[in-house]
Amino acid sequence: MIMSGKTLKRYFEILELDSGASLSEIKNAYLRLKRLYSTDSIVITPIADEFSKKRRLAVLHQIEEAYTKLNEELKDEHQKSTHFGNSGIASKNVSEGEEADNPLFRGDVLRKIREKKGIHLYEIALDTKIRVEILENIEHERFDALPQEVYLKGHVSNYARYLLLDPRKVADDYISRYKTWMADVKKKV
Amino acid sequence: MVEKEGKIWAIGGGKGGTGKTFVTSAMGTYIAGKGKRVTLIDIDIGGANLHSFLGISRPKKSLTDFFEAGASLNKLAVKTGIDNMSLITGDIHSLASDNIKFTQKLKLFRHIMKLNKHYVIIDLGAGSHNNTIDTFLMADKKIVILEPEITSVENMYHFIKNALFRKLRMSLREYGFKDIVEQMWERREEYNIKSLRELIDSIRVNFSHVGDIIDRELSDFKLCLILNKIRSSDDILIGSSMKSIFMKYLGVDTKFAGFVEYDDSVWRSVRERRPFMLNYSLSRSAKEVEVFTENLLKGKEIKLSRN
Repeated sequence: MIMSGKTLKRYFEILELDSGASLSEIKNAYLRLKRLYSTDSIVITPIADEFSKKRRLAVLHQIEEAYTKLNEELKDEHQKSTHFGNSGIASKNVSEGEEADNPLFRGDVLRKIREKKGIHLYEIALDTKIRVEILENIEHERFDALPQEVYLKGHVSNYARYLLLDPRKVADDYISRYKTWMADVKKKV
Repeated sequence: MVEKEGKIWAIGGGKGGTGKTFVTSAMGTYIAGKGKRVTLIDIDIGGANLHSFLGISRPKKSLTDFFEAGASLNKLAVKTGIDNMSLITGDIHSLASDNIKFTQKLKLFRHIMKLNKHYVIIDLGAGSHNNTIDTFLMADKKIVILEPEITSVENMYHFIKNALFRKLRMSLREYGFKDIVEQMWERREEYNIKSLRELIDSIRVNFSHVGDIIDRELSDFKLCLILNKIRSSDDILIGSSMKSIFMKYLGVDTKFAGFVEYDDSVWRSVRERRPFMLNYSLSRSAKEVEVFTENLLKGKEIKLSRN
């Protein structure tokens, strides 16, 4: 895909980089800005009431778009690009969004449900105050990157509640897999 | 308007105690040390104490003499003990500062511009008073000093929004659209306007013919940001974050010129009545002052290794 120089420049501007920044600079800028606009901090709190959720979402979507497009554009040049950590269980048998009777609220299932409802992770982050990175890790079941069980349980419940799922059911199911993983880790040590 | 020579710098930012006076004196000392002529102007209303940072006593004459007796700026400037650098003090509280008319401010600015070949660094002091804002708006470089504290962030937003609001109002008036901003603001409930951003957006929608003017004024309003009294390298991120929000929320282009770490030698210098940059010239914070002053002189930003 060939992008016009002007579009390319605009994407760099959105990520607050000079044109010609490297892939790793792009990624760092993306992560920094994503965190800035999806979490409360001393620079956001004083204007939180006027810098509305809607506006912040719009900014976040721009950042997301710029990052995705720049990555696509530059990936050919660098072979080494983003990796998709898939530490979860192989995803067969994922019936689309069968919330009620699917006993397995695996990360990827949760993600499908969320996407089907057209909810972006940023919305959940802004509403629940859970950082976007954590939500992503929940969906990818990157257990090693997730907080301790007590906190994780709270996060998963809040996430589920936002998707109008039964928070207890989802959390119990999710945590059971986390515990299995934890037990494995301990065995290995 | 001011010519884009870039030699008149105003230091503001809203909150008191963030280090505006320190930054003014330190930058001035550094630039003068490079062999350039510098005039510092202290118009910190009610709290003019730039002289103390330079270790000299309060000048006897002030801008009051300029406004009331028509004294020339050259007559008011006193030596600072540092080669190439002189000081003019405001001390405006002695005359009711509210009564300085806009035409008087323009006259002052005309005279400041006549100090050509000089770098003029104006210490605005705290607050978002109209006098402060007008001076800020007329400067070539609009420099704001931020401390990594929520109170400082809060006051800075307030200051910038006030400045932007005033700039838009005055420039639309200049173009003959006298009441647009006022009208829109008065009807803010009807249009559900709760912030400056929404005000700008609804002026754009409802008075589309002034859209170009607004764009021009916004792109003309550029800031330079200096972060003072940082206590950890994480604090530096606050500078980058403010820059980002100024652009993405208010549409204001900002250059993050640099930072200075918290350093007790600053107040020690004041107590010892010696200019910091001479007294502690080898300290890390003095080097940091040099870095951001160079960036300001060259119109550059600080390079952050991890970003």
